[in-house]
Amino acid sequence: MTEMTPKERITKLFKKEPIDTMPIFSGQGMVTVQAIEKMGIRFAQVHTSAKYLARSAMVTAEMFDFDAVIIPYDLCNIPEALGRGVSLYDETEGILYPTVPHKWDKIEDVQIPEDFLTKGRLPMIDEAFQKLKAESEDGKFAVGSYVLGPFTMAGQVYELDLLLKGLRKDRERVLAFLGQMTDLVIKAAKHYEALGADYISIREMGSGSDLLSPRMWKDMIKPNLVRIFETLSCPTVNHICGSTDLIIEMMNECGADAISVDHKNTTAESRKKLGDDVLLFGDFDPYGLLVQGDVSNVEPVIKKCIDDGVDAVWPGCDLWPDVKKENVDAYVQTIRTYGKQASPAVGRI
Amino acid sequence: MATEEVRQEILKTLDEGVVEYEEDQVKEAAQRALDEGVNAYDAVMNGLAAGMEKVGNLYDQQEYFVPELLMCADALYIGLDILKPHITVEDLGDKPKGQVVIGTVQGDVHDIGKNIIKLMFEVAGFTVHDLGRDVPLEQFVEEQLRTDSEIVALSAMMTTTMMGMKKVIEMIRERNPNVAIMLGGAPVTKDTADLFGADGYAETAGNAVQEAIKMISQLRQMQA
Repeated sequence: MTEMTPKERITKLFKKEPIDTMPIFSGQGMVTVQAIEKMGIRFAQVHTSAKYLARSAMVTAEMFDFDAVIIPYDLCNIPEALGRGVSLYDETEGILYPTVPHKWDKIEDVQIPEDFLTKGRLPMIDEAFQKLKAESEDGKFAVGSYVLGPFTMAGQVYELDLLLKGLRKDRERVLAFLGQMTDLVIKAAKHYEALGADYISIREMGSGSDLLSPRMWKDMIKPNLVRIFETLSCPTVNHICGSTDLIIEMMNECGADAISVDHKNTTAESRKKLGDDVLLFGDFDPYGLLVQGDVSNVEPVIKKCIDDGVDAVWPGCDLWPDVKKENVDAYVQTIRTYGKQASPAVGRI
Repeated sequence: MATEEVRQEILKTLDEGVVEYEEDQVKEAAQRALDEGVNAYDAVMNGLAAGMEKVGNLYDQQEYFVPELLMCADALYIGLDILKPHITVEDLGDKPKGQVVIGTVQGDVHDIGKNIIKLMFEVAGFTVHDLGRDVPLEQFVEEQLRTDSEIVALSAMMTTTMMGMKKVIEMIRERNPNVAIMLGGAPVTKDTADLFGADGYAETAGNAVQEAIKMISQLRQMQA
């Protein structure tokens, strides 16, 4: 068997061409405290330095034998570039992800600067991206990125309860706002595509049927995702966490190359609904398994994901950085060995 | 004093107004309750809260989702704002009540579940000290001590902020071991709540509504 480079493995996976074994990667942040500690820095520092951001992704991937590096780690960089600020918690003990402190509370106040990609930390993220691309030229790692989906992005910059109620009470204006957010997401995703992203995940995280009815999802979420995936030419993933059983077929109709779900999805059933030709990624709880769980639980959970029919075992969310090293090692080892068998949509060489 | 027939009609209008998120209907019915001499606490518990109980069932049956829940809560608030000032200490009697400190832990700016739970506590006659969202952990301890509240309710919508709850529980227990601590939010499970040493939990915003509604239902049963 010829061993592929990580980049080849992931590139071929997205083309549904035979690969040597299942790649270990995701569409969410995968930085760990072990890498942060090795670098001698604190978690809050990785969000503001291109060097630290790129290095922490690379050190984590090297340390655990991942196939990809993915940046950024926080969901606030675009809202910050739109003037919504960022709370970095750099004085707080422990790990806290940045948040958006100042959301708009009136849709009419929303302003999207033409040059938002040059604002806030976005240029720093570009620089980190370029570093990762330069260091991965030999195919050492695939370089991935993500952008929030329009609805989730809207909830990051505009008060979420107003957004949710507006879907019913102020439909036309909220639809126009979501259209505006879709343009923003396309612009950001095209930018990462131009920087050479090997794949991009669109994380429409807050749109699962824990929050929205399937009818509302079809009417107000799906058309915007279709527009995004039509526009992008690099490999794409449509990721939604939370309850997705009721919308899994509509997710597939959005036109992404792959679908990603979390552990709330009944993956074996989803595979039946989608058939074997669709790339399906998922679906374990990274906090429960890699932070809280005993190492002995890791192998059965990962094997179940594969047995349920995923083409790549993806965590349902960002890896919580404070993982147990032995658990991540077991997660990687299980995929490397058990993932040698063909998955529903992707054969093996 | 309203006749039983008028009382029933007003309670039904309040109930339906909440379920159908008809804010104007609730506003008018709440005012009519006062004008007709319907007991305000009766109108809240058997009109507004009864409606919200049905909303919880509709959410459970996946007929309603979070946008509808929020609109129902808005309708309930409109009625509550009118009726609450007319609820007397005698109305509450020896029914369960007290003070609650509530907030979303530091690092988390999601407060929908917290706001719904807050509403339920208010309906049930609790005094609520709402610290808001993204609350520094020590502030929960300070507020509990300042107000001598019986309950501290902590919310986190993200796994990444859930660990803050453990620290708050430890800090509160150290200063005042008799406080009841409730946890809520999407990533919180019963195991997590047990592990962190909490007294109760609600798994999601929807479950939080259910849990709060159960509290109100129990309250109404005790009242009956």
